[in-house]
Amino acid sequence: MSAVLIIEQVLNGLQFGVMLFLMAAGLTLVFGVMGLINLAHGSLYMIGAFACAAVAMATGSFWLGLAASIAASAAAGALIEVAVIRRLYDRDHLDQVLATFALILVFSEGTRWVFGSFPLYLDPPEGLSGAVTLPGGIDYPLYRLAIIVAGLAVAAGLFWLIGGTRLGIRIRAGESDREMIAALGVNIAALYTVVFALGAGLAGLAGAMVGAIQSVQVGMGEPVLILAFVVIVIGGVGSVAGALVGALLVGLTDTLGRFLLPVAFGAILPPSEAMGVGSALASMLIYLLMAVVLIFRPQGLFGARA
Amino acid sequence: MAETVLELAGLSKSFGALRATDGVSLTLRRGEIHALIGPNGAGKSTLIRQITGEIAPDSGTIRFMGRDLTGLDMPARARAGLARSFQVSSVASEFTALQNVVLAVLGASGRVFGFLAPAMADLRLVGPARAHLGRVGLSGREAVRAADLSHGERRRLELAMALALRPKAFLLDEPMAGMGPEGAREMTALLAGLKREAPILLVEHDMDAVFALADRISVLVYGRIIATGTVAEIRADPAVREAYLGEEA
Amino acid sequence: MTREGAVNAVILALLAAVALAGAAGDRPFLVTLAAKVAILGLAGVGLNIALGFGGLVSFGHAAFFGLGGYVAGILASHAQNYEPVAEWPITIAGTQEMLIIWPAALAACALAAAVIGALSLRTSGIFFIMITLAFAQMLYYFAISWPAYGGEDGLPIYLRNAFPGLDTMDGLQFFALCLAALVLGVGLSWRLRDSRFGLALEAARQNPERVAAVGIRVFRVRLAAFVISAAITGLAGALYADLNRFVSPAMLSWQTSGELIVLVILGGVGRLWGPVAGAGLFVFLEHVLGGVSEYWQALLGLMLLGVVLFARGGLLGLLAGARRHG
Repeated sequence: MSAVLIIEQVLNGLQFGVMLFLMAAGLTLVFGVMGLINLAHGSLYMIGAFACAAVAMATGSFWLGLAASIAASAAAGALIEVAVIRRLYDRDHLDQVLATFALILVFSEGTRWVFGSFPLYLDPPEGLSGAVTLPGGIDYPLYRLAIIVAGLAVAAGLFWLIGGTRLGIRIRAGESDREMIAALGVNIAALYTVVFALGAGLAGLAGAMVGAIQSVQVGMGEPVLILAFVVIVIGGVGSVAGALVGALLVGLTDTLGRFLLPVAFGAILPPSEAMGVGSALASMLIYLLMAVVLIFRPQGLFGARA
Repeated sequence: MAETVLELAGLSKSFGALRATDGVSLTLRRGEIHALIGPNGAGKSTLIRQITGEIAPDSGTIRFMGRDLTGLDMPARARAGLARSFQVSSVASEFTALQNVVLAVLGASGRVFGFLAPAMADLRLVGPARAHLGRVGLSGREAVRAADLSHGERRRLELAMALALRPKAFLLDEPMAGMGPEGAREMTALLAGLKREAPILLVEHDMDAVFALADRISVLVYGRIIATGTVAEIRADPAVREAYLGEEA
Repeated sequence: MTREGAVNAVILALLAAVALAGAAGDRPFLVTLAAKVAILGLAGVGLNIALGFGGLVSFGHAAFFGLGGYVAGILASHAQNYEPVAEWPITIAGTQEMLIIWPAALAACALAAAVIGALSLRTSGIFFIMITLAFAQMLYYFAISWPAYGGEDGLPIYLRNAFPGLDTMDGLQFFALCLAALVLGVGLSWRLRDSRFGLALEAARQNPERVAAVGIRVFRVRLAAFVISAAITGLAGALYADLNRFVSPAMLSWQTSGELIVLVILGGVGRLWGPVAGAGLFVFLEHVLGGVSEYWQALLGLMLLGVVLFARGGLLGLLAGARRHG
């Protein structure tokens, strides 16, 4: 096993991590500000991927597709916020779970109805196809590298938005005291719609970018959604910084575990068994990580103590 | 001097820069009502919450019936005989009044893990529960949902739940809060009878009630106890007049 | 008989009538559907103990439903191959006897729930939902990537597991067995709800702080409820594996967890027979709406949205009036 392979896997882990961050950031903001658990966040991811694939196919331009993905998922987010989600803020978590589960069913079947059950395929843009040689002679797909850079750029933008803009001040105020900012004349309903659409747009962007690596199909969002939940549990609900750290931890643990565990078991077991045992255990690794965090810091790494 | 039931020594608790409890020492003796008064934000509720085990003090000790309570959680302290009522009424609101008191009797019995026999048909639970409801004057309201009781009735229901714990001390956090004059008079009479059963640490804003009931009063200002004494002593204390009664005037 | 009691009797009679009519009219399909309702109902009765009585929104009960199924499938597959399940430290042979499989499934699910519950119940609210969902997903991926028992393809049970004195391959007899298990499950949850434990559990749903203040450890009560709830759902999983003569990771999937919650809610949360009514409605919709459109789940989703936003209380809430206490 060479250092080159390991570095390649670390990069893959980073790429996976920044994707998870884009998903988790929206979820954790929506929970922090509105106190809502949104299971349909995975559907917004799927909508972004389908919008990108459809527009890219129709126009031949990946970049138009990418813009469409953000627009479509943010619009879908705003739509469901106004039509459904805002009725749920004052409800208990069970009602939120049920209603957003219902939204998953509607979105999944609706997408299947429009696009069919067969996966769509989306190619990376031409300028970003092929591999790039990194210092040290490592060949790495340029597109994946671009995802890492884009993801980190979005993360930086998000931190700036929350830390340094008027909107960010309102969002943070909304987390701590809803009545107060309402009393100060901020339009809470509009603020919530904007936050929800922002989270939706990020999820859609993630879906579109991943869509060019994997296939675009119905049901692609929920496994990522559940991983984003693991990220939030690890990072702490409501914390964007926690979401970033949690996402990178989960991304790296999962990728390196899948790569290293079968190799490690290969030292003590015959190859075929080592592959099976190693990959089965690797699939559980991030959940074990979550369990460890729960034992020592039930509120998550960046969560405030309840 | 009567036996000391509850003893706080050098209790301190800070939230960031705020010293909510600052070296508080205080005793509660058998047979007395010890009132804890002080302006809003003086740290009365924070103190109560440290005694019940809801929050841990930064330093200092709490001894109850000669036993150090450090390290015991809320349920363990309740079972040791510390019964409390909440500042804001806290009951199981979908349950009837009787069910609420049965719950408290159940907690005191320590035998929660019965899985098959119906609890509301168990006379060992329901019998005492009825008696406690009777003592607070809620006999006729047994079958009413707690949510449908009046505010004053809910306060008395809480008292019945506290009684069910067969307590060795009561911690009552503003039992008169939100009551009209009639309700406050009834509650005052009830508490006066209660202290023979177990001493009461009473946090209360209703000064008429405090002066009528308390055997001793401690005045808490900015987390510190500035004076402890009988009603007459406290009325005469210049520091109290300035820090507390002065603000009221 | 109260109105709710009458509705419950009608539910039970209807279920039996569908199965009998199916058997008499030589439409085994109907018998299978009735058995499916009974089994999903039992799974819901289990979930209802945590969700309805305890207010613990577990989005991970598929873990126990699937685990129960896999216990049945794995023991049966070893019996079919004549290979022991384990030879060390003691030899455990495979079996097709339900009377051995059921306790094994109950024990496995109770154990898994004790671990998952002990971790998840350190938190509450939205955290609890996400964590139970995540642990169920962990078992799902484990089942997919563990090659010994079929992995992604699942595990067939060639002949239904056996129950003394019954021919379980006969649809009606198997249905009767499922119905008996369901009635036992509902009976148990009824006794449980009214017991000392049930009183503490329901109180902890309404006001955990108050329950702690009367000297009861909320964590222990909730953990016990979670374990019992999981064991009953696991038993339903073992029966479901036998019904289909097949176990697959789909039983462990998040969709299954969601569907279990949905059927409890559709029926009426916290009611003894609610999950059964919900299971009936769910299976009925699956076949009626499924006949209308292959995208029937979208219609189910819209219906569910309607129930959540406008008709809380579920089917039994509509039929039997608001829930009574005391």
